[in-house]
Amino acid sequence: MTKLVEKLMVALALALFVQVAPAAEEPPALKAAAGPQKEQLRKLVAAAVKEGELSYWDVVLQPKTASIAIEAFRKHYGLPASFKVNYSLARSADLVTRVNQELQADRVTMDVVAIALLPFAHEKVKGGHIMRYDSPQYAAYRGVFEKGLGKEGYFAFNGAYLFVPMWDSSKLKFKGTSWKDLIGAVPEGRMSMGDAGNSVTYLATYMGLKTVLGVDYFKKVATMKPTFLVRSEQIANQIVTGQDQFAFSGMPTRAYQFNQRGAKLQFLLPKEGVVLLPQAIFILAKAPHPSAAKLWIDFILSEAGQKILVENEALISGRAGFVSPIPDYAPPIEKLNVIKIDWEKITADDQNKAKAEWLSIFKP
Amino acid sequence: MKAGRGSGSLSGALAPAPTSGLGAKPWARNLLAPQILIPGIAVLVGVALVASPFLATVVRSALAGAEGALAPSLRNFTTLFQDERFYSALGITAVTGLAATLLSCFFGLTLAWIVARTDTPGRSWFDTLNLVPFFLSPFVGAVSWTYLAAPHAGLLNNAISRYLAGPGDLLNIFSIGGVIWVLALFYTPYVYLFVIGPMRRMDPALEDAARVHGAGFLLTVRHVTAPLMLPALFSGALVVFVTSAGLFDVPLALASPRAIPTIPTTVYSLVQYPSDYGRAATIGVLVMAITVFFALAQRAYLSRRSYATVTGKGYRPRTVQLGRWRYATLALELFYVLSGVVLPMIALIFVSLSSLWTGWPAFAYMTLGNFDQVLFHHDLARRALVNSLIVAVLGATIGVLLGTLQSYYLQRGRSRLRTIMDSVLSLPLGIPGIILGLGFLILLIRTPLYATLWIILIAYIARFLPLATRGISAMLLAIGGDLEESARANGASWAQTVRVIVLPLIKPALVAAWLMLFVIFIRELGATILLYGQGTETISVAMVILGEQNFGQVAALAVVQTLMLVAAFMLFRLTRSSILES
Repeated sequence: MTKLVEKLMVALALALFVQVAPAAEEPPALKAAAGPQKEQLRKLVAAAVKEGELSYWDVVLQPKTASIAIEAFRKHYGLPASFKVNYSLARSADLVTRVNQELQADRVTMDVVAIALLPFAHEKVKGGHIMRYDSPQYAAYRGVFEKGLGKEGYFAFNGAYLFVPMWDSSKLKFKGTSWKDLIGAVPEGRMSMGDAGNSVTYLATYMGLKTVLGVDYFKKVATMKPTFLVRSEQIANQIVTGQDQFAFSGMPTRAYQFNQRGAKLQFLLPKEGVVLLPQAIFILAKAPHPSAAKLWIDFILSEAGQKILVENEALISGRAGFVSPIPDYAPPIEKLNVIKIDWEKITADDQNKAKAEWLSIFKP
Repeated sequence: MKAGRGSGSLSGALAPAPTSGLGAKPWARNLLAPQILIPGIAVLVGVALVASPFLATVVRSALAGAEGALAPSLRNFTTLFQDERFYSALGITAVTGLAATLLSCFFGLTLAWIVARTDTPGRSWFDTLNLVPFFLSPFVGAVSWTYLAAPHAGLLNNAISRYLAGPGDLLNIFSIGGVIWVLALFYTPYVYLFVIGPMRRMDPALEDAARVHGAGFLLTVRHVTAPLMLPALFSGALVVFVTSAGLFDVPLALASPRAIPTIPTTVYSLVQYPSDYGRAATIGVLVMAITVFFALAQRAYLSRRSYATVTGKGYRPRTVQLGRWRYATLALELFYVLSGVVLPMIALIFVSLSSLWTGWPAFAYMTLGNFDQVLFHHDLARRALVNSLIVAVLGATIGVLLGTLQSYYLQRGRSRLRTIMDSVLSLPLGIPGIILGLGFLILLIRTPLYATLWIILIAYIARFLPLATRGISAMLLAIGGDLEESARANGASWAQTVRVIVLPLIKPALVAAWLMLFVIFIRELGATILLYGQGTETISVAMVILGEQNFGQVAALAVVQTLMLVAAFMLFRLTRSSILES
């Protein structure tokens, strides 16, 4: 009898374990889903596990942030530790070169690309090089699509950034409020500027600013003999070391990251407005790991993904209802005076003309 | 050298075994004999490694139009020749190459003279220290000098400004002068290596004769010592000019940030968006043509070179007693070692230990976090370390294997093509890494090799194999063929002869060649920058990427790379196989 009771108890315990165990192992993403969506997600996760890896390229995320995001991504979908996310940080021009190189050679190794160059993303959609994917997260990005900062079914943005005047407040007392206050703020040769001759994002900023400041303004900037840099980290580094006193194209993201390490970088949101550079995030049509890529897009655009990007990179989120934890560095879009640009209408030819104009003004 | 080449008496040793392929025709038997076939294959591989990227570049330069609709045209050439920026880049490259060569010759010759001929204190130490920059990465050297001499931010400028009340921008490393300076520091050991041997073996009677006839010290140097050094100096200068003008690393770090164009950085930016492969390939073709010209010029010059004044009699030239002047020579030695090794290392260490580099060491920011990141957490840095080690170990091993076989062909073979093959196989030494990388990119982009470590490995071997071949050839030439002949006469097969006689005798050269390739592969950048893909970054590529993002981490990675190179250097010294032998 006692043995029978023992056996019954063991069987009960086992039955309970069997009931409970799968629920405990279910990852947050599946737990949050229900009905046919849940089944669809389960299939997508299984396919991603089978693919085993993902290739992600970005032009902003620091490796440390990428590591945090990758770890959270794995947990969110219950992916095994063996699932690999290969992350690369590149310059925007380098990334465009690589994408084009792979497309031309028909040897695509990249899955997901994030780049703040909307004309490029639109061009690739038209060319059929971006995978159509209706992410469930797009529902929270309707506003972004309406403002022309994304294209439904193809790309939203994982975060946006700005290039604005920046300086080291421990070395320079600058009280300006306008782009025009920069002129003469520091001696000749002591200001850096984003190299629009070698960077497509600085070029986009130039094109936007020109619409409100005019070409003559840039001719005045050229008289300050700026030095030209490509990476935003380099621009911040050179202010911190004292090589430059001022940056025309400082990035709040870098101010946030350098200030966390002890720097005293300050930036200005000029009254004339700023050019918002949304990082279009998309999947290449011939991505070798499409299922993993879809999961990555879903995660990065989710509330959890956005929190990681904003907290670590001070990127401006486009997700509806998202509250920025660091509004000083990453203010909500609504609070910014964003210069209106119709990104979809900008062609490669427009960019080439703007580049030629910039080169003729600054003669780097 | 010619005597060795002409050692046709080895025909017996190299004659194919009479028993092989009884039914085959004699020429087929000859070709299929292992001593012909195996070295022959190695030579063909070498020729293919030279010819294939060259042809790909030539073909691409002759195609114009939109990608996907390319058509034969000379438009790339015509537009290039009308482009002012090309001439500007060409002029700056020529100026930096020439000035760096002159400065390297001055340093190399003077330092060799100080070490080999004078009583300067500590000269045996300097004999080693003068060579250290040879093993270091020029890119790391350039980056270190940005920490030292960036205007308003470099350590030296800050020191001048703080302690001497001088201007904070007295030194500006981001300039043509900066490029010349760093190139000269890193190419001085090349000239030093070329001239130190002849300097040590010089017949003192020639200088004595000049003095006996009333010539003073300077007159003797001018009319006797310098002309004796001229052939070695000219050879060194030619090598320095061709390699320094084609070097990508230093202009990338020092010229690009100020938009100063050079040929290697222009090729790089032409490949970047909006890419113009046609024009990049056109520059590649022109550079390759110039390389062939210089290679032929060097060969023609060396073929006329007389060896009569620097013989193998083992002279020991008289040491020049400098008196008080020895402190001046000591100062020059210290200046070079400080500039080329000590100061850059100090700067690197300071920056690598800083969480925030402000241009001056600050204890508040001191940390080991950068090393922790690059060694244990930073994916890019960690995989770059692993990739570089894989490529360096595998590449050096394959390089030595192919180099040994090619040397065997060049020194022991009977083919009339040997001289031509020697020239062809040596060509990649003069071709800038970025041009060769471009050639392989054009050639292999549509193959499964694209964006793999293999494409990098192939490019490295193609570019640096001649170094291994030359080093091993020199050793094979020195040991002659008598022992092999005896072994074959006593019935040993070719394989046995190679295993028992040849390999043990040339072992020092094999070790030297392996270490040389290992060192070069660990630090190579030019051939990699266009070929790496995600996951195949090498240390140098990682430093370029990190260099734009985080000073501390790039410095930490540079320190790690330098330690690897120093370890290889020490191994090099320990193996008793001197650099001169290689």
